[in-house]
This record gives sequence, structure tokens and C-alpha cells, in this order.
Amino acid sequence: MLRMVLVRLSLTVPILLGVSMVAFGLMRALPGDFALAAAGTTAVSDEVLRTTRRNLGLDRPIWEQYGIWLGNALAGDLGHSFATRKPVAGELLPRLAVTAELTMIAGLLAMAMGATTGLASARLRGRTDWIVRGLNSLLLAVPNFVVATLMVLLFGLYFPTVGIFNYVPFATDPLANVGSLLLPALALALTVSVTISENTRAAVLEVSSQDYVMVARAKGLLARTILGNYLVRNALTPVITVTGLQLAALLGGSILIETIFTIPGMGQYLFDSVSRRDYPVIQAIVLVSSTIVLMMNVLVDIAYARVDARVSYD
Amino acid sequence: MDDRGTLLQVRDLTAQFNLDGVPSRVVKGISFDIAPGEAVGFVGESGCGKSVTARAIMRLAPEGSSVEWGGRILFRGQDLLTLDEHEMRDMRGRRIAMVFQDPMASLNPVMTVGAQIDDILCRHTGVSRRAARRRTVELLGLVGIHDPALRADDYPHQFSGGMRQRVLIAIAVSCQPDLLIADEPTTALDVTVQAQILRLLMRLRRELGMALMLITHDFGVIAGMVERVYVMHGGEIVEFGEIDALFAGPRHSYTQALLAAVPRIETARRTA
Repeated sequence: MLRMVLVRLSLTVPILLGVSMVAFGLMRALPGDFALAAAGTTAVSDEVLRTTRRNLGLDRPIWEQYGIWLGNALAGDLGHSFATRKPVAGELLPRLAVTAELTMIAGLLAMAMGATTGLASARLRGRTDWIVRGLNSLLLAVPNFVVATLMVLLFGLYFPTVGIFNYVPFATDPLANVGSLLLPALALALTVSVTISENTRAAVLEVSSQDYVMVARAKGLLARTILGNYLVRNALTPVITVTGLQLAALLGGSILIETIFTIPGMGQYLFDSVSRRDYPVIQAIVLVSSTIVLMMNVLVDIAYARVDARVSYD
Repeated sequence: MDDRGTLLQVRDLTAQFNLDGVPSRVVKGISFDIAPGEAVGFVGESGCGKSVTARAIMRLAPEGSSVEWGGRILFRGQDLLTLDEHEMRDMRGRRIAMVFQDPMASLNPVMTVGAQIDDILCRHTGVSRRAARRRTVELLGLVGIHDPALRADDYPHQFSGGMRQRVLIAIAVSCQPDLLIADEPTTALDVTVQAQILRLLMRLRRELGMALMLITHDFGVIAGMVERVYVMHGGEIVEFGEIDALFAGPRHSYTQALLAAVPRIETARRTA
């Protein structure tokens, strides 16, 4: 088990190296650069642009810039923001924490809703199945930013006391903080819960018709034992796969949701930095997000091995 | 019937499936008896209703389908078709147990084989986990698994088909049922393994004093295994009797056809 985890982790290193190259290269392939964006106008002398670029080291060859950045990043130094001149790590961390909290709440909501509706749909069939599948189709057809906008409209117009835009920092009041993130998390979670729900339903139905479930019934086991040890444990593997992928996708979805609900998370920070061509910030965000997604995949692999003894990565 | 009395009396049993609202009757009013400790064979081709008959005694409908059972299934004088689901669950695995056809698909892949015997023991005998495990190891030894204490912690995929069928037999006999239903227990196995499994079933029946209902499509399997045979065809019992008499002089044309389908050494020589 430990060996498997170490092997998985070591495999993420070359992937992250590739990601760092792409993140570095892509940003520089965009038209314009920080000097131009900072000047705010094209009517600026070449002298000024050259000075700005020299100060930031942008006049050096690109491979040299990459080498310096990578070396620093490996040492834990993600560089300084061009715009604010402050260390990126210091600016990114509090925002990352907000985004992480938002996606975590959304992930928990999505898993709870998806697993419950999927399981109910597969076990009860009939009317429940019909209602769940109808709702799922509807939710799948509506993108999360539309749901978010509708929520903003609904609560803004009819329940202004809820205060949708009142983000409360965690340090101020932890409870109010979680409360202020519930609506955005719900908007984020709905689409993801549909995928989990549909996959749970399919997995449980598939497992239900397996011979070993018939054997379990022939053993006279209680319904809850069959449900827990035979149905759910076997249905878990495919559900873990989609859930892992979907949780990673939540990270991307949070950018839109944070913008709509004005939550000071990584999404808004990224948006602003892209407009400013603030390379160090963008690179740091891409690198950190990729690391999170990769770690999520490693966790999914570990979960597989925990759930199903047949899984072996050696 | 002989003087041993009856364990199971089935009268006018019918089974009707409803497929998309279209009723289809697959068992058409059959009656038979099984005495305590007796071995009885049920022979017929696929789809003749023999498996559905077995499942009716267990009251197990295939997942997601609805079956209507009619008639009476008297087990020790009690009509199983009138029991509620709760009472029936106490019956399954404890009084009446079943071994299924495909050992490769019949064990839960994510649980150790030991845990799959522990759970039925805990359910029906109310023993502690630890006591159940001791009994599980005994049972695995009884069905011929080597190093049972070690093997109990292995998963099904670490066992061959024949070994898995042994585990399933251990599960079935774990609570010393009065009646063991074996539904094509050797069909999915190699010929050499088939003989071992049949010998094991015979030995356990003798040692535990169980009645055995052996369902097969192959007259070769039940020869030497059972005392009486019911031949089923098209949801009905077309012929029954002592096995020797049936082999010697089958009356029904379908029985004659089934017997003719069993390869014999003489015919094999002639064609070779």
C-alpha cells in the first residue's frame, strides 16, 4: 500500500514539470505583456516599456526566465506579483483557502445529494426513480452560472435579508463564514451531484443483478447488511472514479461562481491577473491547481485499493 | 413415500412472471415431496422451470422482476408462501439453503471469503464475530480447503472456480439446514472438478443429515447421487420415480430423449 502511494506520488512529478512548462509558455504566447498592460495605453514610449521589462527580467531569453522561475518555485518561492510587488505565495494562500473551502463544501453537498438520490432511485425505482431522473436531466441542462444567477435574482429580489453578497471571513465568524458560502456551494454542487447521482444509480442497478446479491438474499441476511456490504461496497468503485474527476472539475467551476457571488477566492484573483498579464501569479495558480487535481487523482487511486482488494498497481 | 415422513410437500405450485404486463406461466402446477435426509433429482433442459421451482421454495425472485407464486409449499407442515418476508428471511440460509450455478459470480468480490461465511453465521446463530470465525475455519476445512485459517482472509479472486464452489457450499451448509438445494452446482466447472464437488455434496448430506434437491440438465450427474428423480419439461413434471427404475425403463418420450443424450462408453467406442 505504502509502495503504491509512493509510486503514484512520484509519477506526478513529470506531469507537474510538463504543466509548469505549458503554464509558462502559454502565458507568454498571449499578445501583449505586463509592461503594456500596466501602461494601460499603447501611446507609451519604448523607453518606458524597456525599463519595466528590464526591471522584471522580461528582457532575458525565455528559457532563462523559465529556469530561474522553476528553480525558485522548487525552493518554495513562487516569485513576486508584477502588479503589487508582493510575494505571490502570501497573496495566493488566503485566496486558495477560500476557494478550497468553497469547493469542499460544494463537494460534500454534491456527494451527499448525488449518492442519496442515486441510491434511492436505484432501490425504490417507480415514481422516485422517475422524479430523480427528471430532476437530474433538468439540472444537467442548466449550467452552474445560470443557477447561480437565478439564485442571486431570487434571493436579491424576494429574500434580501439573506444577504447573498455578504461574504464573512472565516477568522471573523467561522459559522457565519460557512453559512455565507452555502448558496454559492449549492450552485456549484448541483450539476456535479447529477453526475454522481446518475453514476450511483447505474452502479447500484448493475450490482443488484449480480449473482452474489442473490446469494446474499439466499443466506437470509438482513436488508441493511445486503445494502451496505454487498450493494454499496461494490457500487463504490465506479462512483469513486466520477466523484474524483468531478471534484477536480469543481475547482474550475468555482471561478465563475466566485465572480458571481463576489467571493474573494482564487477565481477572481486569476481573472484579474490574466487581464494584467501578471505572469508569476498566473503560473503559481496553474501550478497549485494542477497539484490539487493530481493529488485528488492519487487519493482516488488509494480509495480504489482500499475498497477493492482486486486492485493492484504493482 | 416411505416411512421417513415428509420434509417438503409441494402442491400445485405455479410461478407466473409478468414481463411488461404480459403474464407468462413458467411452472404449471407441479407437486412433489422430499423426505428428511433424502436426495432427490430434478432433471430437465434449460427453461423447463426447474430453477424457478427451486427459487420458489426459497421465495427468491430475480432482482427487478415480479413473480406470482401459487399453490402450497409445505415445509415441515408450514406453508412458506404464507410467511411474511421477515419470517422467510429467518428460513433462508438456516432451514433451507441453496448452492447456485456460477461460482465465479456468486461470491462478493470485495469481501474476504471468511467474512462471507461469518455474516451468515452471525445472522442465524447469534454467535460473536470471534466464535463465528472459528466455525468458519472449521467449515472451510470441512469442504476441503487447505490451510483454512489462512485462506479465510483471502478474497474470492484468489480462489479457482472449484474452490469457490466449495466456499459456497460451506456457506450453504454453515447453519446445518434441513434442505440443501443445489441448482446446477457443477455445470460451470471442469469435468474432474465436477466429480469432486458431487462427492463433497454427497458426503456433507450424509454427515449433516440434510435432504438434497439436486437440479441438473444432465442425467450423468444424478446417477449414483439421488434416490428419486423428477423429470421436468415445459413447466410440468412429466415423469418421476426411483432412479434405477427410470434408467431401466423410461416411460415418457422426453425422459427417453434425455437419457439418450447421455454419452455412453459403448457408443463412444463405436463412433471412434
